[in-house]
This record gives sequence, structure tokens and C-alpha cells, in this order.
Amino acid sequence: MRRELSHIRNFCIIAHIDHGKSTLADRLLELTGSVSSREMVTEQILDDNPLEQERGITIKLHAVQMRYRAAGEEYILNLIDTPGHVDFSYEVSRSLAACEGALLVVDATQGVEAQTVSNLYLAVEAGLEIIPVINKIDLPNAAGMLPVVQQQLVDLIGCRPEEILLVSAKHGTGVEQLLSAIIERIPPPKGDPEAPLQALIFDSVFDPYRGVVVYVRLFDGTVQKGDRILFWATQQVYEVDEVGVKQLKRQPVEQLTAGMVGYLVANIRRVQDTKVGDTVTHAHRPCQQPVPGFREVKPMVFCGIYPANAEDFEELRDALAKLALNDAAIVYEPETSAALGFGFRCGFLGLLHMEIVQERLEREFGQAIVVTVPNVRYQVRRTDGEILYVDNPAQMPPPTHIEEIAEPYIRAQIITPTDYIGPIMRLCIERRGTQVGMSYLAPTRVDLQFELPLAEVIFDFYDKLKSVSQGYASFDYEHIGYRPGELVKLDILINGEPVDALSMVVHRSRAYDWGRKLCVKLRELIPRQLFEVVIQAAIGSRVIARETIKPLRKNVLAKCYGGDVTRKRKLLERQKEGKKRMKQVGRVEIPQEAFLAVLSIER
Amino acid sequence: MVPAWTAPTLMRGLYVHIPVCQHKCSYCDFYSVERPGLLEAFVEALCREIELLAEQFPAVLEEPLVTVYIGGGTPSLLTPFQLERLLERIRATFTIEPQAEWTLECNPGTVSREQLRIYRQLGLTRLSVGVQSFEEAELRFLERLHTAEEAAMAIQWAHEAGFEQVNVDLMFAVPGQTLQTWRRTLERAVALEPSHISAYSLIWEPGTALYARWRRGEIAPVPEELDVAQYELAVERLMAAGYGHYEVSNFARPGSECRHNLLYWHGEEYVALGPSAHGYVRGRRYWNVRSIERYFAALRCGKLPIAGSEHIGPRERLAELIFLGLRSDGVSFERLRREYGIELADGAYALLRRWQELGLVQEWSETHLRLNWRGYLVCDELAAELTLSAERLWERHTGSSQHLPVLDPGGVRWGSSRAKSEAVCTGGRHLPSVQT
Repeated sequence: MRRELSHIRNFCIIAHIDHGKSTLADRLLELTGSVSSREMVTEQILDDNPLEQERGITIKLHAVQMRYRAAGEEYILNLIDTPGHVDFSYEVSRSLAACEGALLVVDATQGVEAQTVSNLYLAVEAGLEIIPVINKIDLPNAAGMLPVVQQQLVDLIGCRPEEILLVSAKHGTGVEQLLSAIIERIPPPKGDPEAPLQALIFDSVFDPYRGVVVYVRLFDGTVQKGDRILFWATQQVYEVDEVGVKQLKRQPVEQLTAGMVGYLVANIRRVQDTKVGDTVTHAHRPCQQPVPGFREVKPMVFCGIYPANAEDFEELRDALAKLALNDAAIVYEPETSAALGFGFRCGFLGLLHMEIVQERLEREFGQAIVVTVPNVRYQVRRTDGEILYVDNPAQMPPPTHIEEIAEPYIRAQIITPTDYIGPIMRLCIERRGTQVGMSYLAPTRVDLQFELPLAEVIFDFYDKLKSVSQGYASFDYEHIGYRPGELVKLDILINGEPVDALSMVVHRSRAYDWGRKLCVKLRELIPRQLFEVVIQAAIGSRVIARETIKPLRKNVLAKCYGGDVTRKRKLLERQKEGKKRMKQVGRVEIPQEAFLAVLSIER
Repeated sequence: MVPAWTAPTLMRGLYVHIPVCQHKCSYCDFYSVERPGLLEAFVEALCREIELLAEQFPAVLEEPLVTVYIGGGTPSLLTPFQLERLLERIRATFTIEPQAEWTLECNPGTVSREQLRIYRQLGLTRLSVGVQSFEEAELRFLERLHTAEEAAMAIQWAHEAGFEQVNVDLMFAVPGQTLQTWRRTLERAVALEPSHISAYSLIWEPGTALYARWRRGEIAPVPEELDVAQYELAVERLMAAGYGHYEVSNFARPGSECRHNLLYWHGEEYVALGPSAHGYVRGRRYWNVRSIERYFAALRCGKLPIAGSEHIGPRERLAELIFLGLRSDGVSFERLRREYGIELADGAYALLRRWQELGLVQEWSETHLRLNWRGYLVCDELAAELTLSAERLWERHTGSSQHLPVLDPGGVRWGSSRAKSEAVCTGGRHLPSVQT
């Protein structure tokens, strides 16, 4: 099924969460006859993971092929969906690289948001044709906002107002015009089917029956069953079993040629071998250069994941291995904690990614897990000059061996109505941020730029930002490297024993406050025991805060006769179940929530 | 295969609940109604219940009774004639050990010297007198209808009537009560020389008048320190006076321990009569309806007034043996070895060692573990820990936690007349299902 390049359009949709990307995609599928109305019953076909539907975000990329007839010609439209969260901005850049054009979708009542802006910049950088779309024009308050949002788009991308398409994805208004615009405005792909194969991986998923299914965009060359292909970054060679295009289901085809978007199956066992952004070429006739822009995805946030019951370690290992089949971004390695036993140190792209992995472990794999406080990876320069990277605070060298600790920084872009500038600045400064820029997008809308330590952003920053701006501020960030800071390791001791799983790295100026609050919080969370429990916070050997939990004096009901036996046994049963959920650290029983206590501390 | 669990042989007691009071005390959550006028009909109904039990549930007759306990409510509101009728019916139906213990609970305000003499003549061997306090203010707070003096008289009369076994119920951790007033109450009780003293820390039970006042913010439980100090004082004073501390709240002269209550605490079985009473027969715990109207209604239809039941399987029983043992005269390792094939003394060594170091243990031998008063104070906490250890040992012993053996109830037909009685009496309470 070879297609003329002139009849192919590859595009993606850039939109902020909730601005209607999935609904628009669904409407395009429907109008092009790619799905029947009956199939539309389950709304939002592209977000097929229940977690994605619940959170209203796309986690995994999707690509889908549609056919559309215009002026008597049949066109192939490839929609490459992009993830909608800042944790996944590298994946966004890779999927943009697979396209020639992008629909920039903005909610008629909300206007441009930070996420839209940063993804738009990526798209412009990638040389994509941008089609501005204002969605949700059916909303009652859309009419008033429309001129404002139109002006925002004109200012942002320098288009003419008449180039902006007005759409209601919900009702289908303007979607036909949008399809025409896609064909007219987005250039067809270029490429030489006879040249050496050069294809970009923009996604891969694990299929239990077929192994890894790799989604690719071909720039040059042709690939078909039986070809021996080479993955540039991993230098792995595989033989192709099947190539095809993804409609709603995978549809095998004879070959994929330059300009096309499709998938290939080659008996690949590990998604880790098929890195997003990597180049696929032929083993015997490789291309000269890989597709530019590939980088190894580095985890930014780390935490310990332990089985709630020590005996379930192997089960957790299996679950993580299975989960990693479909999530190339997660990294994990076994670690041991004196407090929690055997578990894993896991690295994630960001906090959302971490939450998703936790939820998947619990829901899909039925694992009862204890998760430790998340942290970033620190760069430590030892007094002997050696540089090491520490992603578990418990592994931090003793203070006397440390010359300097550096931590990762981000540049944050926050777009907000001007009303909230004050509280947002306060929040960022509280989080050790420095303002590096501010520009007005409109008289009442401002783009604030801050540099912040990543560690300050991974705890509840996003929630705080939403609450101080009543939900109006939007947030995006990029990593800008390591910077040295006055950082110290804060230890928690329980009855004199340091609890490794509770150690954390904090800024020296915060250490006392944190230590005190953490001790208070732990005093609330740890139940009284048969003996006194002393909780201390310490930096090195210096104790900076202390709380005590008085011993349990009384836990008995005075009466127990015939009728009470059943009732009391049931009470006891509950008490016993509570104990099962405790972790024994030395002699002290610590509830699992305590290991995340730091997250619930009010700053 | 190792026998997973050996069903025990059990002693048998009888509990009769008299759910009638002149006035409901503010703290009491036992089932009772303030309608003494119902007593005549109630005794009639009790006799009917005994008859139906014998007919429909003959298993209750198989073991001889070693104790009979008439509690309430206020059983001492029964006239000698009513009591006589009840006792006669019990004797006529059940086989009873000649040396059986016959206890009746008695409220000081309701009895006369003559009445107690007749009670003794009717064959009762033990009187439990609800004194609670010898302080008038505390009695008023608890809404007791008698004075301190009347309480003292009742105990004296009981002795005069020939009761060797007399219990005095006392209460501490009462709002307004101090260490001094509690000491006075204890002294006065000891001076009256009862064979047995129960000293309860006040429990704030939902549904009581006291609880409602607490919720309204009028009163509040005493601080834990005072509760513990008063408990310690009771232990100290009563032990010094020669009473053994044999259960969380119970003290007795050697040999005067309440055999009926020990039966509960040793996991033995008992038959129940009267509304809200609980029984435990052939591995099944069952309970009567908690309403005198429904009780009458069921009996009128020729139906036992049983509201529900649960099977006490090996897992439930293991938990009960442990928590009841910890509360009273000890957990018998020997018994667990015999019934469950586990060596708890070895299996929980580290745990028990820790309790001992914390000063909670009275006696710890190859066969037995008994707590001291400090241990009693936290024994619910300890029970949860020891039960977890015991369950793990037992699961290892049986090699599976999935399929627990279920005790064969030994041919008891629960509610065998169910079909018949439901046809006659719609809307009645359900009977326990037939276990096979």
C-alpha cells in the first residue's frame, strides 16, 4: 500500500490539559470514518489507559491513521498524540519531530497556558507548520473571551486572525474546515524511498504476544518483513516480523516507505532496547546520520519502593519488571534499608510519573507497597575531589567527607493572570527560587520565569501554585543543570537509632524548621508503644529537634463476660490488622504513612 | 498429616439474663427495661424458653452444668416465688453437678434480710452485690437508687443468711471520684469481708446516659493517669488484704474465684437464657434477641428467641484463648500445644522476653504465661501481638493459611424447627443456619 507522499499529512495536537485535545482527536476520527459512532460510545478513544482517563492526561503516546477524501483525492492523515504533562516533555519533542505540522488548540474560555507555550516553542523549533485552533466555542462565556484569546494567538505565533480556526470539538462545529486546513496548510512529508532507511522511534509498547511494538516515522527508505534492522543507540539488530499502520487496531501492510508513520514488530523483548528518539536503519545499509535530537531519558525523581510485607520482595520484583516492559522511562535497582528491608530504588521522570507507577503497582499488579519520600539526585564533590551522584539520602557520605553538594535546578515558566503575581512570587521565593524574567502576554496575563531547585518543586509545588492562583496559573519547566547549595543531610533517629528510610537532604536554612516539624509529625503518626519512644532530628551528630511519645499506659477494657467475647475478639482482630501494616524498626512499630510524613508537613 | 486442631472437651455453665430494673444506671449498657411489672410474665417466658431449648436444641442438655449465673438487669427484683419457679424449672431440665455454683446478682436497694435468707434456702450459693461506691455523691452520679449504708447492710445480711461466697462490685475512674474517695470505698469494702471483689474502671459505652452527657460536653472521662493510679491503688490495697488478682478487674480470696466467670475466660461453653444473653455451645456462639418484646413474641410462636450466631473455628478460638488467658489467670501453653500443636513459649520467645523486661509478666514457665497488673493494663495491645505470633506458628504448623479446618459441630441441629416455626410466625428473628 504505497502512497504518494503528496497525499500524506503527519501532524500532532498541542494543547493544555483540559483544553479538549482528546475530544478533538475523537471527533477527527469520527468525521474521517475511522470509527463508527457506536465505537464513540466510550468517549476519548485515544486515552485508553483507565489512569489516563481518570486524570484527564495522556501518559503514553498514541498514533492513529485516518483517511480523508478531499476534492476527489484520498489523503492519509497520521495523528500523533503527545503526552500532556511536563514530566514527559522529551517525548513531546520526539513526537513533534515525527510531524510536519501541529494543531495548536486553545480553550476559548481559558486562553494560552504555559504548557501550550513551551510545547509550541518546541514545535516552532522543529519547523512545524502551526494551525491555531480555538476550541470550546460552544461554551456560554466563550463569545466574550474570543477576541482576547484570538489576540493572544496572534501575538504568540504571529499569524493573521483569519487563520485561526474556531471549533467546537464537542459538537463537531468547524471540524470539517479543520480537516481541509490540515490538507491545505501542512506540507506533505519529504523523503526518498530508495535512500538508506532512516526512521525515528517516537513510541514503543509491549504486547505480550508480539513483544515490543515500535512506532516509527520514516524519513527515508523503505522497510518490510524480513529486513534486518539496526537500532542506532543500542546497536541492537533485529529481523522485522511485521510492519503496519495503526488505525484503531494495528493493521499489517507490505511495507512502510519514506514519509509514512507506522509500526514494526521484530521479536524485541525489552522496551528498553527501543528508546524513544532513537533511529532505526538497515543493518546492511545504514543511513549516514541518525535523526538528530536523541538523548537518553534520565530519571529526575527517586524514591524507595518496598513491599509492605518483607516476604513479598520477589513478587514486587516481578511486578516492576512487568511494569517496565511498558514504561521505558522507569529505572530501578535493588536496595536495602535497615528500616524497611529489601526493596528498590526507583527513578522517575517526575512526580506524576512516580505517582502513576505507584498506582499501577497497586492497582494493576496488586502490590502492597511502602514508598519513601521522593528526592532528586545530588551531585556530591568529596574532599578528595571525587564526584559522585547520590539518589538516596541514606547513601550520602558523612559531612566531613563532603566538599560541596550540588542539586538540579529547573527553569520554570508560569503563566498567570496578573492578579496572582504577588502570591506566586512569594511561593517561588519560599521555595528558594530566583526570578529571571517576566513578560506580559496580554495586559492581564503575565509569563513569569523562575529558576528553582528541582527538590523544591517535587513536593506539592504544583498544588500550591494552583491554590494560590485559584487554579489559573499554569506551569512548565525545563532542566538547567546542577548548582551548588548549602545542603545538609537530615537524619531521623528513633530511640537513638537512625532510620535510613527517613533521611533527607535539605537546605541548611530550613534544616531546623524541617527537623522540628518532622519530629512533631512523626509523634502524631507513631502510635504509643509499651515504652517511651524518642524521636530526634539530627545533622551529623548534632541533634536539632526532639519529641517523645509517652508509653502506652492503658489499653484494656475493664469488663469481659459471655457476650463480650465475640465483640472483643473482633476489636482485637482490627487491632491486629493495624499491627500487620506497621514496620518494625528496632523495637518500635512505625506505620507506613510515617515514611511519607514529610509530604504532609505544612511549610 | 498433622492434626490441625483438636476440638476441646468443655465444661458447661448456664447464664440467665433478667432484663428488668427499677431504674437504669447512667453507665450501664446491659440490656434492661424499667418495667418491674413484666417480671411475672417474664419468668413464665423463661420457663417456656427452657422447655423449647430442651425440645429443639437437646445438645444443651448433654453436659452437666457446673455453674448457674442469674444476672441482669436486676435479678434481685424477682420475688422468692418467681425465683423458685425459675430454679425448679432449671433443675428439672438440666443435669446439674451437686457442687455447682449458683450466683445471683443483687442490687442493695431492692433486697431485705428475709429475702436473702430465702434465696439461700432456695439453693443459691453466691451473691454478687452491686455496690459500686460507698460515697453518696458517686452513687448519685451513677444513678444508683441505694445509699452506701444500704449497700453495707446487704452484704452483712448476705453473710447472715449463710452465703459464704459474696462478691462486691466497685467502680473507679468515675468523674468526681478522687484517690481519697476511692481509697475510702476500698477500705469499707475490705472491712465487710466479702470473699470476692470486682473493681471496674468505668467504661463509657455508646447508648448510655453517661455517654450522652459526655457528647453534650457536660462531663468527661477522668485523665488516664488518675484511672491508672486508682487501678494501682485497688491492686495494692486488695492484694494486701489477701485477695488474689485473677483477672483484669477481679479479686478473690483463694478458692473463692467466680467459677462461672472463669468458665468464660477459659474458653468453656455456656448456655444462654433471656433477651440479649449469649451462649456458646458445641463450637458455636449464639445470641438471643435484644428486646423483651421480640423475646416474648418468638416464644409465643414456639420459637427460640435466637437472633444470630457465629461459628467459633480454630482461628477464632485461638484468638479468644489468647486474649482471655492474658486477661485472666494466664495463657496455657500446654493447652495450645494440645489443641493446636504449637509451641508458643518458644515461638514467641523474643516477644515474651520483651514483655518481661518491660515488667508486665507475673509468671512465665514452660506451661504458662500470666501477666501482672501492669500487663493487665495493656493486655489488649499484648493480645494483638501474641495472637499474631500464634497464628503465624499455627499456619506454619498446618502448612497453609488458605484452608483452615472447620470444627465439626458434632451433629448439633441449629434451629432444626426453623421451617415449621417460620411458617407459623412470620417476621420472627432468624435462627442460626444448620451446620453439617
